[in-house]
Amino acid sequence: MNQRRLIIFSIISTGVTSVATQLVTIREFLTQFHGNEITISLALFCWLLLTGIGSLAARWSKDPSPWIYSLLILVIAVLPLVQLIAIRGFKEAFFTHGISPGFYQIFFYILFTIAPYCLLTGFILPYAQKVMVSQGHAFGSGDLYLTDTIGDILSGALFSFVLVYLIKPFATIALTSAPLILAAIALIFRSRKYLLFPVAFLLVLLFYFYSTNSRFEINTLAGQYGKIEQYMESPFGRIVVTKEGAQHTLWESGTPLYSGSNIIKSEEKIHYALCQLDMVEDVLLVSGCLGDTMTEVGKYSPRHVDYVELDPRLTKVAGDIGIIKEAPGLCVINSDGRSYLKETKRRYDAIILDLPEPDTFQTNRFFTAEFFLLAKNVLKKGGIVLFSIGYDPDYLSNIWRKKFSTIYSTVSLHFENILVLPGEEAYFLCSDRELEADIPSKLAKKSIRTSYVEGYFYGNVTEERIKMIRDCQDVRVPVNTDFDPKLIGIVLRHWFMEYGTSPNYFFLAVLGLTLTYLMFIRKEEYVLFSTGLAIMGIEMLVIFAFQVVYGYIYLKIGAIVTAFLLGLLPGAMIGNLATHNNKTRLMVSEISVLLLLIMFYLWAVFFRTGLHPVYYLMYSFFFSLVCGFQFPVVAGMIGEAKSPAAGCLAADLVGAAVGTLATGTIIIPLFGIKAAVIFLIAIKISSTIMAFFSGKNRC
Amino acid sequence: MPTMLTRKEFIKTMGLCASALLCAGPAYGFPGVEDQDNMGIKGHVFENDAPDEPWKWSIEGFHYQKAGDTVECQVCPNQCILEPGDRGVCRSKVNIKGRLFSLAYGNPCSVHVDPIEKKPLNHFYPRSLIFSIAAAGCNLRCLNCQNWEISQKRPEEVQHDELFPWDVVKAAKDKSIQSIAYTYSEPISFYEYMYDTARLAKEAGIKNVLVSNGYINPGPFLKLCKYLDGANVNLKSFDDGIYRRLNGGTLGPVLETFKNMHGEGVWFEITTLVVPTYVDNPEMIKRMCGWVLKELGPDYPLHFLRFFPLYKLSRLPATPVETLENLRDLAMKEGIRYVYLGNVPANPGTHTYCHQCRKILIERKGYIIAQYNIEKGLCRFCGTTIPGRWG
Repeated sequence: MNQRRLIIFSIISTGVTSVATQLVTIREFLTQFHGNEITISLALFCWLLLTGIGSLAARWSKDPSPWIYSLLILVIAVLPLVQLIAIRGFKEAFFTHGISPGFYQIFFYILFTIAPYCLLTGFILPYAQKVMVSQGHAFGSGDLYLTDTIGDILSGALFSFVLVYLIKPFATIALTSAPLILAAIALIFRSRKYLLFPVAFLLVLLFYFYSTNSRFEINTLAGQYGKIEQYMESPFGRIVVTKEGAQHTLWESGTPLYSGSNIIKSEEKIHYALCQLDMVEDVLLVSGCLGDTMTEVGKYSPRHVDYVELDPRLTKVAGDIGIIKEAPGLCVINSDGRSYLKETKRRYDAIILDLPEPDTFQTNRFFTAEFFLLAKNVLKKGGIVLFSIGYDPDYLSNIWRKKFSTIYSTVSLHFENILVLPGEEAYFLCSDRELEADIPSKLAKKSIRTSYVEGYFYGNVTEERIKMIRDCQDVRVPVNTDFDPKLIGIVLRHWFMEYGTSPNYFFLAVLGLTLTYLMFIRKEEYVLFSTGLAIMGIEMLVIFAFQVVYGYIYLKIGAIVTAFLLGLLPGAMIGNLATHNNKTRLMVSEISVLLLLIMFYLWAVFFRTGLHPVYYLMYSFFFSLVCGFQFPVVAGMIGEAKSPAAGCLAADLVGAAVGTLATGTIIIPLFGIKAAVIFLIAIKISSTIMAFFSGKNRC
Repeated sequence: MPTMLTRKEFIKTMGLCASALLCAGPAYGFPGVEDQDNMGIKGHVFENDAPDEPWKWSIEGFHYQKAGDTVECQVCPNQCILEPGDRGVCRSKVNIKGRLFSLAYGNPCSVHVDPIEKKPLNHFYPRSLIFSIAAAGCNLRCLNCQNWEISQKRPEEVQHDELFPWDVVKAAKDKSIQSIAYTYSEPISFYEYMYDTARLAKEAGIKNVLVSNGYINPGPFLKLCKYLDGANVNLKSFDDGIYRRLNGGTLGPVLETFKNMHGEGVWFEITTLVVPTYVDNPEMIKRMCGWVLKELGPDYPLHFLRFFPLYKLSRLPATPVETLENLRDLAMKEGIRYVYLGNVPANPGTHTYCHQCRKILIERKGYIIAQYNIEKGLCRFCGTTIPGRWG
């Protein structure tokens, strides 16, 4: 292979390894920290920002050399493993064992642990182009973008559709780094730095020794989990089983999902709901059928119990270690709970939800007006829905009152009676039948014995505490809906309060730095900045909207992400075809992006449902096609003589970073989906104006 | 022709190899958790955070020293030194114009009536109800705090009632409740409010119960003891390092508090939350029991509570019930006569057994007493005196 082809191959391979590493790393952070939208946004933000800074740094690199390039890509190939081990190892060193760190701790930890890799991968692409040019090979910025995109697409698709199902993070890294390692060795060979061979050989040997050693991989997790009995990855997260004495703990993405028998929770969630019913025939459990749950349900001798859980691997493991107890009539259904409610023909006496706090778009879908309508539709007449949220039984804070009021108002749109029982959690009972708070006496009438409820209820769930909760309802709060997820914003604010911090300083700093950055970039680069921002923003919105309409279906969401990556390639190719009328072509693409955003807005406001999933894929593909088209066009407008690759890549990445943060953590949770699209439209209008008043048709 | 590596190039490549070798470190115990003993989470003084003037629910501190305009609070071992405008670690003490004020006086944010067993107190007038109050603030920073929304807040930040000491006593009397608990958050942070209420309650024949972390200086505590009848005090661990890392305090002052209660004749029960990987070490519990027996004797009940993931400490498993049972056995073997398990409904470790004849004295089903075999403080079966305060 000649040098030009080798470098092109290495650029594609860099794309392959960097996207796979990004996906593996974000999943790692989700298991290390609280897996909410904040963590996802922070990880993406830091990733894109650091990569952007790395790209920018390449602007000032002088005397590009093929052997330095080959050494750097070798480092990039092996660094993901070091990074992953560092993320796991340093977490236990920097934080108290068992703690869930707060916003700023998460931010700085992410920034610190991924900085070397991101800066280097950001740097390497423009540097690769410089090496090509220095060696006398024609290779424009558009070519660079296009080549890297090929690697990104390959890796995105490979990871989302194959690797995530089959292999663990270390093996993923071992596999996706292989092409880059080959490219690096070939380039070292070509540059005749033979003495580097033993070093490279040792490095590669160590890399594969550790990355393919499953015992070693489990050891890197032992600090976080303790004595690991089983470990597996599923598309939905990391599943670990540990053993402490006779107790099994089932961990899902770093959080103990089930940890020995918790009779208090099992009894409260089951009996508060089921004792209200005259007859219990059909029960639906959305998550949480672990431990004693079925024993308690069994006391009502139901005919049929459906247990819906998203992750088949989780239910398999739970079954294997005996924490899903077999019971007559129990049917385990692996599906998204909300999708199941939409599709099922069965009608239930009770629906019992055991879900985490609604601090993500995914869980918020189970606390919206649309969801409660769905739930009501599958209930038999007089049926009951129960769910719970955490609270302090001794004091109701203002933010909790707001959370409570929002949920209460939302539920009351569809149910005549709502009773909130202040147990260990605040249990919401929703039904059109009369609800009674005296649970022990209802249980006594049914001759049902309990370990916890009958002994503790009167001491904990007092009339005074029930009244305290009832009285804190504020009817003025808006309801929580799919497209205006008010609850996420409230829950996230509550999360910040736990740590006594405010994200405001961070957002102000980001705003300040962004404005400063914008002051120094070219007008054409601003167009790419806004496009990077828009594409990340719209990607979040499309995934969010898709989840709302169709449920959390991993494969289809993976397909949407891939469609976004896939569109960039033909876009860049078309953009690269012609080298004249760049300004006109840029204006056309700007207006196209605007039209696509307006189209999304109209859909979100007026239609929302009824579209086949293929439309989401087509939309994602075309949106990114137009965005991909812009990169070579803008590079052409700036002119290759000015080495535009570094600046353009940086603008694209920094824009994407800001878009992730602004859309995912601020605008959607606080102002809803419509406001988020309006924000993106406003940004693109500004860039269209900028494009109109600037640039020439230079090539 | 092969090209030689320069020294600079060699250093670069060696650096790379070193990074790869470091991979092995974390997997084999580097950096170790045991190195974290000094990672304390002690709270800090909030500079320039005090209001300009005392508010309605303020009172001048009972225990502080002045040096010019600087004051040093003497209530707890934090001994916050506050410049004018500063706020103490507990968030309820402030320096306003050179005087120390408590902002938590007559403004309880939680007022409830609970069964006495909820505190938990198993040997203190069983089956009685207790009027329970809390004001905002805490002098520690426990990572697993279940009341963080009041304990880690300023008094001005929380919603509160208005119940001055005399109102508290009147409210308890109106409800015909014979005892008042200072609980939920950390009563030491509203010491003045607690002290005045306890004094008035005592005068009115109402008993006072302290539910606390015990992180208080002996001087103020001995004064308070005059009015205290019962207490449940946390012994969060028996390791100073763990106290620093999980709670932001130290062990010594808490042990001193136990000794003072014992010396002053205050009935108390000890609570230890068994946090997995921190407070579940049998050797440590053995040492703890040894200290209790030596300094306090075998009669004060010890409660081992099951931990559930909470607040910031949400990435630990719940305590295995087996661990709790083993620790209970260990403590009893060491010589503690009454060891209970909490947060484990229906466990035999929730009942009271006579330390002499081993028969069930009090069978508990939650807060309901199914059997009660104590008469005038004696075991109904063998006549042994059962330590505690019995009605």
